[in-house]
Amino acid sequence: MKLFVVSAVAGLIISLAGSTPANTSKSDPVPGEKIERSTAVDPQLTVTLCVASGKLTVRAWDKNELRVRSTDAGQIELRRLDKVKDASVPASRIDVMVLESTSKISAKAPQPDCQALADVEMEVPAGATVQVQTRDGDISITGVAAAYAGSQNGNIEIARATKVVEAGSIGGSISLKDSSGRVNLSSAGGIVEVVNLKPSSTDDTLEVGTVSGDILLQHVSNPKVMAKTVNGTVTMTGPLARSGHYSFTNMTGDIVLALPHDASFQLNAKVSEKRDIVSDFSLKYLAEMPAPPAPAAKPGPSPEPGAVPRTPTPPKTPPAKGGPQVKTGPIISPVIVDKPAVAPYILRRVTAVCGTGDATISVASFGGTVRLKKI
Amino acid sequence: MTRCLDEATLQGYFDGELSPHLMESATSHLASCVTCAAAARELSEETALLTSALAAEFDVSVPTQALRERIDAAVLGERVANAGRSEKPGLFASFVGVFSFNSQRALGYASLVAVLAFASIFGIVKLREPNVTTPAGSSDKSIAYTPTVPTPVVETNKGNPIVSQAVSKRAPAAQGSVRPQRTSYTPNTSSNRKDTLSQHPVQLLPGERSYLQAIARLDSTIKENKDAMRPSLQVEYERNLAVVDRAIAATRNAAKSNPNDPDAADFMFAAYQSKVDLLNTIADARLSGGRGH
Repeated sequence: MKLFVVSAVAGLIISLAGSTPANTSKSDPVPGEKIERSTAVDPQLTVTLCVASGKLTVRAWDKNELRVRSTDAGQIELRRLDKVKDASVPASRIDVMVLESTSKISAKAPQPDCQALADVEMEVPAGATVQVQTRDGDISITGVAAAYAGSQNGNIEIARATKVVEAGSIGGSISLKDSSGRVNLSSAGGIVEVVNLKPSSTDDTLEVGTVSGDILLQHVSNPKVMAKTVNGTVTMTGPLARSGHYSFTNMTGDIVLALPHDASFQLNAKVSEKRDIVSDFSLKYLAEMPAPPAPAAKPGPSPEPGAVPRTPTPPKTPPAKGGPQVKTGPIISPVIVDKPAVAPYILRRVTAVCGTGDATISVASFGGTVRLKKI
Repeated sequence: MTRCLDEATLQGYFDGELSPHLMESATSHLASCVTCAAAARELSEETALLTSALAAEFDVSVPTQALRERIDAAVLGERVANAGRSEKPGLFASFVGVFSFNSQRALGYASLVAVLAFASIFGIVKLREPNVTTPAGSSDKSIAYTPTVPTPVVETNKGNPIVSQAVSKRAPAAQGSVRPQRTSYTPNTSSNRKDTLSQHPVQLLPGERSYLQAIARLDSTIKENKDAMRPSLQVEYERNLAVVDRAIAATRNAAKSNPNDPDAADFMFAAYQSKVDLLNTIADARLSGGRGH
């Protein structure tokens, strides 16, 4: 009976706590000594980790076990979030609390998460979903199913992810290699590089966005690729997915597509009239449409300083048969616009086909050059 | 027609003192006016520079102990001297005291004479100055004389001219070459600011307002966080913000000059969206990033 009451109270406390420490193997921390925590987990574990500063390294292994190590942290606590009452059941959601030595872990008080300055290494099952965040440090994730990573100034490197990758940085670069699945990467000022990406399902997309960072895509076979930058250069190298859709948008940087000599695609380009579309491929132009006409009230470009106003040539009016011939009088010199006017922006729209036009490439560059190169 | 933001409005924009409506108007103007965007960046950089340069001064309690002691000693000495002089009563003594030239009084008289001389010279010059300023076709080709065009910078409040008329009658030769008159700072009341913006509202393009509202909200959110942004984040933020603002200005001009071209508008919206994304990222980083953001 006593045992039953004790168990019931313990269960009640656990359920009210909302999150409880996982059944971990641990040792008391000694300053400067490596702290290590480990626990049995579900193969599809979801683990979260957040520090203020420090390098985060996550590797997948073939054990259904989570192991966390750090030499800088004061304490590491594995807090179970899946609210399973039976502690013997492997955890499916765990939050890794990394605290400095001055912090105290309390189940009641709000936790000062994301405050530690510590390098942390984690080993997780290969099917795990990893959510990591740091402010200043780099992030390295290898071999997991899904990776969600965020760093303000650190670089993010992800390799051999199998299902989902989402990563964001403000000043750091992002590198994704040898992975598959749906990918979304964004960095304000850093370079974003994707090498050897395959889809894990037919609708997997690759979305990349930067402000001033360059975008480098190599051997990407996802059927839908969207790359958008304001000031960076977009470079894509490798074969196109059959019936794939590629969309590249930038404002001032160039867009360079290095494709195999037998590439087959339809190109829909919108570029500034002042910029070129340079192609090594023989393109069959389907249409080139000028921009819609501007309203008649718009002033034209002003004459060059010092230029003499020219009298425009009178239009050649064909004489009407049988009717009175219209004589054209002298044309008064055009009105000089005192206010200097900016040369109007004119957009070119080019639609062209290479080969049988299997893939669709849509390029929109406000002020950059589009280059199609053969590899 | 749009008129550039005066410095007081810009300062209010950075200090978060503008009303939401004015904030939105200012944001929209900054998004569309390269000159004001450059002025805003300059003002922001100056403020940051001053803040960092004077940080040590702000931290130290003023006056310092040594300075306080010197002031106390000087005040005490002055009291003793005054007490000595007060022992000579009478009207004549006080009249003589006016002409007694100690060092402080001599400095005061010299300053008064200098001010009077400067004022009289200035008055003579103003009386002789002709009404017409630069004639058309003068040697100064960079500034064309256009009597009716108001300057982008100048605020001429009723009865409170902020800058000289000669400047106010000049029109800029080119939009990009105009710089706000930094010496013309006059603290405007909020009603004056409202007049400035309401009399010359920015003509927004279709669909632009929602982006501007979102940008204003995000901007306010970022500024609500009183903690100083970390330098590395600040640098990255401002660098990319400048890139986006330039893109918005360029694409907006293109969209404005090609109102029938949906693709030109698409470029503008893409640029706006980039700014919204950037501000979202920064706001998230400031809110969730913990200490020191």
